[in-house]
Amino acid sequence: MIQEFLDSWALFHNTWLAGWLIAAGLSLLGVLTVARDQIFIGAAVTQASMLGIAFAMWIGTLIGEAAHPWIDSDAFLSATAVVFSILATLVTSRPSGQPGKESPEAVTGWVFLVSASGSILLVAHSPHGTEEIHRLAASSIIGATAGDVWIFLGLLAVTAAALTLFHRPILLMTTDPATAVAIGVRTRLWSLLVSGWLGLAIGLSIRVSGLIFTFGCLVLPALAAKNLSREIRIMFWLSPMLALGVTGFAFVVAHHWDLPPAQMAVVSLGGALVIAWAARAARRLMQRS
Amino acid sequence: MTLPEIALRLEHARLGYGRRAVLADVNLTIRPGDLWFFLGPNGTGKTTLLRALLGTLDPQEGRVYRDAEFLSHRHVGFVPQRCELHPALPTTIREFVLLGTVGIRQDKREAMHSLEWALSQVGLDGMAARDYWHLSGGQRQRALVARALVRRPKLLILDEPTNGLDLAAEDALLRCIERLNRHEGLTVVFVTHDITLAARYAKQVALFREGSVTGGPKETAFTTEELTRTYGVRVDVVRQPDGTSSVRMEGNGATA
Repeated sequence: MIQEFLDSWALFHNTWLAGWLIAAGLSLLGVLTVARDQIFIGAAVTQASMLGIAFAMWIGTLIGEAAHPWIDSDAFLSATAVVFSILATLVTSRPSGQPGKESPEAVTGWVFLVSASGSILLVAHSPHGTEEIHRLAASSIIGATAGDVWIFLGLLAVTAAALTLFHRPILLMTTDPATAVAIGVRTRLWSLLVSGWLGLAIGLSIRVSGLIFTFGCLVLPALAAKNLSREIRIMFWLSPMLALGVTGFAFVVAHHWDLPPAQMAVVSLGGALVIAWAARAARRLMQRS
Repeated sequence: MTLPEIALRLEHARLGYGRRAVLADVNLTIRPGDLWFFLGPNGTGKTTLLRALLGTLDPQEGRVYRDAEFLSHRHVGFVPQRCELHPALPTTIREFVLLGTVGIRQDKREAMHSLEWALSQVGLDGMAARDYWHLSGGQRQRALVARALVRRPKLLILDEPTNGLDLAAEDALLRCIERLNRHEGLTVVFVTHDITLAARYAKQVALFREGSVTGGPKETAFTTEELTRTYGVRVDVVRQPDGTSSVRMEGNGATA
């Protein structure tokens, strides 16, 4: 099975590499999403990225792709996905508990519902639009290019470096903004940077890997790591390790049985979370006895 | 660092947001080694004055003198009402307390030394590796104080840290704060609604009411007249022979 997978390397290496890099990068950022307990924000933001892509397609049908071929380019579709994703992240990441203002959960729900419905509406009369949106919703990482691999390698490198250097101020700001402000952390700037970066990562990932793979890699490895770790800093190591290991396993299995690798990866990550829950329950039982 | 004579002085200061004034004509001097209790009903400007203290709010009128070195963020420790860490997030006391070192330049050895010192100050020595979520409510609150102390602050600000604590935990926390003030020379600003705590532990008291602040040594500021005016109910202050005070509230006859 592994030999078969290795034999496929020449043809699919960009797919496997892009899949791993997306999984590793998103699983790192997922630790922050899980630390904030804002998992549903991940779903809303990925959905908003889809709306961005649908919006780009709608613009194409409106002003004519033939006259403006750049509208149909990957770069334009990715750019709109990123812009919508960043906007959604900024809107949904407002601090909670402000009197007289709508709760972040309500805003997140609104973003999710409007994005999910809006993306279908925008491409309803586009000949390829509906098909493309369904493809993105279903997720497929087949078709990633060498350029995608370099982009996600860069994203992973910057994310890892930033979290290595600044994980404490980011965690403090995430978990206790009042204290962070009192001791001089520029919480607004950090919040803007973290939200913007999360939006960028999701927006770029969604174009290449689709909604299910992006959302799955964002939350499932971090949730599994949470159940297996004693400290948050360990989650920053364990989450990408799990993402790489489990998606690697999933890609090998998917290739062997000719199954869609993105879905296999998400199901495998879901299985890893169940194992992590069981491990945590067993650990608790042992502590009690 | 040599201690300044005055850490913060407000002279006829008007503090607020935008055009709205929350506090007017504030005159207050905080000196190194003081143990201040900020008392008053909700919405009377305690947090606003804290912001001026932290340098995040400029006065609309009047003068605010801040000793920039003494009150720099490096030398300030802050204890919030409660920990907002999500309960499902795994963490140990060590990791939780070391979050307080944000903005402080320390190598790993110094950080570990500060951690041990901070934990010993709050009575959590030898518990660094323990799961934070296995602590009692009172211990968690002391871990919050340790997180502020790990910065080796000159000024410790506590924003209603006793909310939700039982009497024993509250007493343990206050004794810890008093000891830090007395033995380590730590300047403390303690925000609370509980006048009985101020009666027992305060050296200086600031009373907040209807947009104004009256502050000074406990002997002059913590009086029956001032407390009754601040809270709108009769509060009798009784001076004890040992120099401490007790308060008696109108109606229930309870003494603290």
